[in-house]
Amino acid sequence: MAVSTVSPVTAPAVPQARTADAAVRAQRVIGRILVVIAQSVAIFVPVFLVATFVTFALRSISGLSPARMQLGEQATPEAIARIEEQWGLDRPFLAQYWTWLSDMLRGNLGNSWSNGAGVADLIGMGIGISLSVAALALVIGITLGFAFGALAALRPQTWIDRTITAVMTVFSVMPAFVVGIVLVTVFAVGLGWFPASGYVPLELGLWPWLSHILLPALALSLDVVADVARQLRSGLIAAYRENYVIGAAVRGLSPRRIFLRHVLRNGIGPTLAVLGLKFPALIGGAVVTEWIFGLQGFGRFANDSAQAGDVPAVQGVLVVSIVLVVVFNLIVNIVLGRLTPASQRGV
Amino acid sequence: MLQRIWALPTGKIAFTILGLVLFLAVFGPWIAPQDPLAANPETLTGPSWQHWLGTDYLGRDVLSRLLDGSRTSIIGSLQVALMAMAVGVLPGILSVYLGRVFEWTALRLVDTLISLPFLVFAVAVTALLGNGITQAMLTVGVLVSPLFFRVSRAATLTVARSQYVEAALISGASFGQVVRRHVWAKVLPPIGIALAQTIGVGFVVVSSLTFLGVGVQPPAPTWGGLLASDLGYLDYQPWAPVVPALLIMGTVWGCNLMADALRDVSGRPVVERAR
Repeated sequence: MAVSTVSPVTAPAVPQARTADAAVRAQRVIGRILVVIAQSVAIFVPVFLVATFVTFALRSISGLSPARMQLGEQATPEAIARIEEQWGLDRPFLAQYWTWLSDMLRGNLGNSWSNGAGVADLIGMGIGISLSVAALALVIGITLGFAFGALAALRPQTWIDRTITAVMTVFSVMPAFVVGIVLVTVFAVGLGWFPASGYVPLELGLWPWLSHILLPALALSLDVVADVARQLRSGLIAAYRENYVIGAAVRGLSPRRIFLRHVLRNGIGPTLAVLGLKFPALIGGAVVTEWIFGLQGFGRFANDSAQAGDVPAVQGVLVVSIVLVVVFNLIVNIVLGRLTPASQRGV
Repeated sequence: MLQRIWALPTGKIAFTILGLVLFLAVFGPWIAPQDPLAANPETLTGPSWQHWLGTDYLGRDVLSRLLDGSRTSIIGSLQVALMAMAVGVLPGILSVYLGRVFEWTALRLVDTLISLPFLVFAVAVTALLGNGITQAMLTVGVLVSPLFFRVSRAATLTVARSQYVEAALISGASFGQVVRRHVWAKVLPPIGIALAQTIGVGFVVVSSLTFLGVGVQPPAPTWGGLLASDLGYLDYQPWAPVVPALLIMGTVWGCNLMADALRDVSGRPVVERAR
């Protein structure tokens, strides 16, 4: 590999050749992105079918019925049968699945058993809150995680490194709901700096919006901070031991350039891979943090409808969370493929 | 093996914490000084000689509730870890041997499972499939099984491509013999590490579920449930969440330390011998 870069034959002398070269390279980049998307879709389709089938089968397995919810325990069998017929639950299982699946692909997730409203609309009302919190948590997690991880890697085996490592260990053992309670106790109840619960949309001002989602986002982010910092630290330290770093230093490149161009680029792969796995944890964590902070978001909806036995709503929640995760992973994969082509060669 | 872990400082802390937690799980309900469900008129009191950790909003003894509730969380986290191990290990080993189609399918399946938000699934499954958190724990176990799949596959890959396995096969050892003698020896340490990690993960999941009140009947005490009920009375007892929170964090920390200690004792000697 090292030989080809010094070979004078490949160096284009003519400007036209250089633009052609750039065009080829751009084509290759787009091609690689398309391959990643195609692969992901090829994986996604069968998995999505299996996952949705299991999700749909939950109703039959659970034995729950909208009739119980609407009529209570004293319902006559005839009344139950009538309601189940209304919901189409008397049809064969596979026929029901087919209807549900084809509706779902058209964006119709069915109607809630508890109030008859469209599940897609109900989820749509809350998802903005959850995505705001998750996005802010990601931003906090990545920023702080990068800062801590890079700082620890640049000063390994010093008190800075040890302090950061110790703090990250504490962060990593704190479940989101414990952090959430601590934050509510200290900053909302104790100091009164932030509201303890509720949500204000962004249209009503940046600060009101931010002040409502900052604490829940912080509660969710600590886990991301810890993981990103630790992965980045070990990735960067490993990259600093490589021979090309010594080579770059010998060539007289500045430490900043070595860090940005060589070490960071090569040491960041595992961190991004971990980041891809963090998104589902953020969605899962939303179930707990939204309960603590009184946010009527996606997680709260998931919890409430599960506890109420509202099967179509729960199915909708599961489908939406699968889609969200897959989309996020796709983005991470494309970014990862751009940054570190080696990760595409696969493990 | 256990002696080598005990020799490490992290190992000592891990053993102490996990031993204590296990002790609570087994004997907690018996050593509880008072009835964890008995309400009395002194509600929301601070620590006293009669109630070491005070009383909750119904005047129930907090210490007794903590001790009595320890079992649920710990059994739940063990269920997660054992289920994950049962589902993940064998496919992980077999993925190296059973050809490319199986390998590809298994890898894609694992990629998907690991990316599902298991807390959402746990809440859904627990709530829909009726009371008790066992079903949810088994579901979560399946969802975190990729960890076991990956470590056992990675370990098997290193063994399968090593010369001594080739030598064993050439000298007439059967496939089963190779797995028993060589593969297990390489695969078991990383599985131990993964086991410690998944117990920690499972513990967080059980605590989260009980915190939300999913899968437990109300008067029954759980660590997560105690935290949840403390949350409603922060104005009166802002210190109340400290003890259950510390217990939960301590247990997770113990599991992580155990994983670190296992990694240290299983990693180092191999490197030293190689030199």
